[in-house]
Amino acid sequence: MKRVAPRVSRTLSGDAHAGSRSLASTARDRAAVRETTLSNGLKVIVWPSAAIPSVVLNNWVRAGSRNETRGLTGLAHFFEHMMFNGTARFGPGEFDRLMEARGAASNAFTTDDVTVYQDWFPRESLELVFRLEADRIANLSFVPDVVECERRVVRSERRLCVDDNHAGLLSERVQAAAFIAHPYRFPTIGLPSDIGAWRLADLRRFFRTYYAPGNQTFALAGDLEPERAFELARRYLAPIARREPPPAVRVREPEQVGERRVVLRRKGRTPLLQYAYKAFAAGDPRGPALRLLLAMLVEGDASRLHRLLVEDLKLAVEVVGDWHDGFDPGLLWLHLTLPEGADPFAVRAALDRELERVVERGVTRAELERAKSLAAAAHFRQLATIDGKAHLLGEYEVMRGGWHALFDAPARYEALTRAEVQAAARAVLDPRRRTVGTLIPTEPGRPA
Amino acid sequence: MRTLRPAHDVTVPPYKRRILPNGARLVIVPRREVPLVSFCAILSGGARCDPAGRSGLSALAAGLLATGAGGRNAFEFADAIERIGGSFNAATTSDHVVVTGQFLSQHQERMLELLADALLAPRWSRPELEKLRARQIELIKAAKDSDPAELLATYGRVFLFRGHPYGKPVMGSEDSLESISIEDVSRCYRSHFGGDRLALIFAGDVNVEWLTRAAEAAFGGWRRAAVRLPSLARPRQIRRRRVLLIDRPGAAQSCFWIGGLGVDKHYRRRAALDLVNMLFGGRFTSLLNSALRIRSGLSYEAASSFTRGAARAEFAIRSLAQTEHTARALDLALLTLSRLKSDGVSRDMLESARTYALGQYPLSLETAADWAFAFGEMEAYGLAPEYIAGYGAALRGVRLEDTRRVIAEAFPDPGRTVVVVIGDAAKVRASLVRYGPVSEVPLARPGFEATSRGAARLRRKRRPA
Repeated sequence: MKRVAPRVSRTLSGDAHAGSRSLASTARDRAAVRETTLSNGLKVIVWPSAAIPSVVLNNWVRAGSRNETRGLTGLAHFFEHMMFNGTARFGPGEFDRLMEARGAASNAFTTDDVTVYQDWFPRESLELVFRLEADRIANLSFVPDVVECERRVVRSERRLCVDDNHAGLLSERVQAAAFIAHPYRFPTIGLPSDIGAWRLADLRRFFRTYYAPGNQTFALAGDLEPERAFELARRYLAPIARREPPPAVRVREPEQVGERRVVLRRKGRTPLLQYAYKAFAAGDPRGPALRLLLAMLVEGDASRLHRLLVEDLKLAVEVVGDWHDGFDPGLLWLHLTLPEGADPFAVRAALDRELERVVERGVTRAELERAKSLAAAAHFRQLATIDGKAHLLGEYEVMRGGWHALFDAPARYEALTRAEVQAAARAVLDPRRRTVGTLIPTEPGRPA
Repeated sequence: MRTLRPAHDVTVPPYKRRILPNGARLVIVPRREVPLVSFCAILSGGARCDPAGRSGLSALAAGLLATGAGGRNAFEFADAIERIGGSFNAATTSDHVVVTGQFLSQHQERMLELLADALLAPRWSRPELEKLRARQIELIKAAKDSDPAELLATYGRVFLFRGHPYGKPVMGSEDSLESISIEDVSRCYRSHFGGDRLALIFAGDVNVEWLTRAAEAAFGGWRRAAVRLPSLARPRQIRRRRVLLIDRPGAAQSCFWIGGLGVDKHYRRRAALDLVNMLFGGRFTSLLNSALRIRSGLSYEAASSFTRGAARAEFAIRSLAQTEHTARALDLALLTLSRLKSDGVSRDMLESARTYALGQYPLSLETAADWAFAFGEMEAYGLAPEYIAGYGAALRGVRLEDTRRVIAEAFPDPGRTVVVVIGDAAKVRASLVRYGPVSEVPLARPGFEATSRGAARLRRKRRPA
């Protein structure tokens, strides 16, 4: 991230069922959304919502660590930083200075699949935001001193999130072991040697390839007229020349046929255990069932794994899960924080038994209803803000087959059955298709 | 074309306020955007009331509210919440216990029942206490391994407010938590939880008439807290700078916190304070972030903030830097504070901050949950609705001379601060003595204090920078 946390949250946000919300309001929301595609292929989607006099703009660029190669990892994330560092027209720092002086805040995050640029601003700054967003897509600069300075910032970010962070380091190593061919094996922040080695030519090539206008989607929500946004898009974004679409990622990860293991030893006190199962791609029709399965396993104090491992057996102090739902089949993660002195192997035995039980016997009706309610509430929480609306628009448009699907999601979740959830469990919770990471702490005073 | 309101207008929504017979304050704010209801229950007291050696007691009591209450045990209580898409969180600050949550509006009856059970009829089970306490201790250890920066402010406040209630670690420490019994928890509850300490806010898609009646019935008869809220002394000013070094052998990076005495919640030049802090360390182009990140690339982040409590709490700078550049980053942070004190901010900077603050303000008060919390904060500190409704006008009225006054009176002198560093002591120790006398503790040691057993003192060799 340009500013704060290292990773985009991949928990339940963004999906749900309708609960009691009327079909009329869903239809009204759907009818309010407008879209246009510019002549250069860039798509703009607008959800007008005037509860507050503000607008949120998200630009989803289809560039993530998935588009990187050996020796050049971390490039997509580096652009997330460089896009704020000056263009041929506006010098380094000008983007932020101009935005802030007109009431606008901005940030960005990178995942394995996408880089998303976010602006939050008062509605009267709409034109400035379009002008500056278009300018950095068209005219980004690569000044050597600025690149070197930003490289240092990214190194600092990496030390914070990975090198000095046991949980971050273990995840990085588990992900690298889980994939042998697919670029999902690369850490989004980049390997240390790569961060130090990108050349200006690498940056220029990556930018030319992945920041093609047709590879980007603008999603806006807030107090604005769609026509006004389209007019500004035509004025500022349409003149950017169309470019060839980036090459497709052709590699397909070979079927995993046996469990892989990663064991790290680090100075410290807290053992960690991580499971990473090969799961589905974001667009897979089984996605909603997998999401509810994950909620039943780890969401809330009444969830199955929390109940079993944290409350009853006291083998773990925290169980967290997420599904990396990307363009290609990604990982379903379980992250366990264990108490000092715990034996990770004993925890594994209990965890494995419970996961087997889910696969064999499925989930109860009560668990399914509970997961649906939690998902509905999460959905409404997102709809309560223009930030959430802009995010949902972009996420569904780019990752899940089109923004219209967002309005169908509630009914889809509502209709999910226990059999579908069990089928998702069977497909994903297969021990032969997982990577297990263990961090074993050594005494703080002793060399690791 | 509809008439445009100025972007910075934040209108306080209509609300209903009642004072119940026991002194509890009830506020209901109807908002209909989505079918959710948020609540915020704030109880005055919090960590400042924790007895000596029992830091973390209020936080444990708050955490235990939802682990069995009324007719439900811990699992049944969690299940009842989650089954209807609800959330229920209890947090503690130095001044308050804050219980917040959110439910689908069709379940407001159940929401009220669960909230009333949690606040009025907690079960206080010993096994639940032992479990929660053990978890809390393990989570502190886990943070030390994976995210020690998260603990900086805790070390910092303990070091800055020595002897003052604000110096008690809110979440407790590995050793203080260990000493807390179920009797302590139940005594804390009797003493510091009660109708006279409560402000209860509901915001969202509510049935106002029903909820008013039902909430009055549920909370209006809650007994008063057995103990009067202790008065809060004024924290002592720092005479001269001192340093706490927390040793994390092998750390690639040091994270640091520079804290000084700030202002309280009732500080009257709040708008000017917010603008100056935004310019100093509260947005991306701030003076601090420009010095430590944008121009030098020393750090991923550098920011400053004021925590404003019932009494004067802290102003704090936080950042991080590669182990080898720890002193360089600290120098830059202190130099940036010195320059703010001597040079102030320019008219252009003020205008930029003003527009930025006005532009971002509506985004902070968008949802029912935002309003529940905002009303809760006003009730908790006895602030008038003008605190929110008048904030835009206050921002527009800030003059350059106001910024000079807040810089002089609210931002601490660099020499009257404490410096807290978590890093590899063997590599950074020598470079820290220039900032003041250094106390050193290992990160792995339980507790957040600098002066207990095991702390070593280093002598200052040079004058402070």
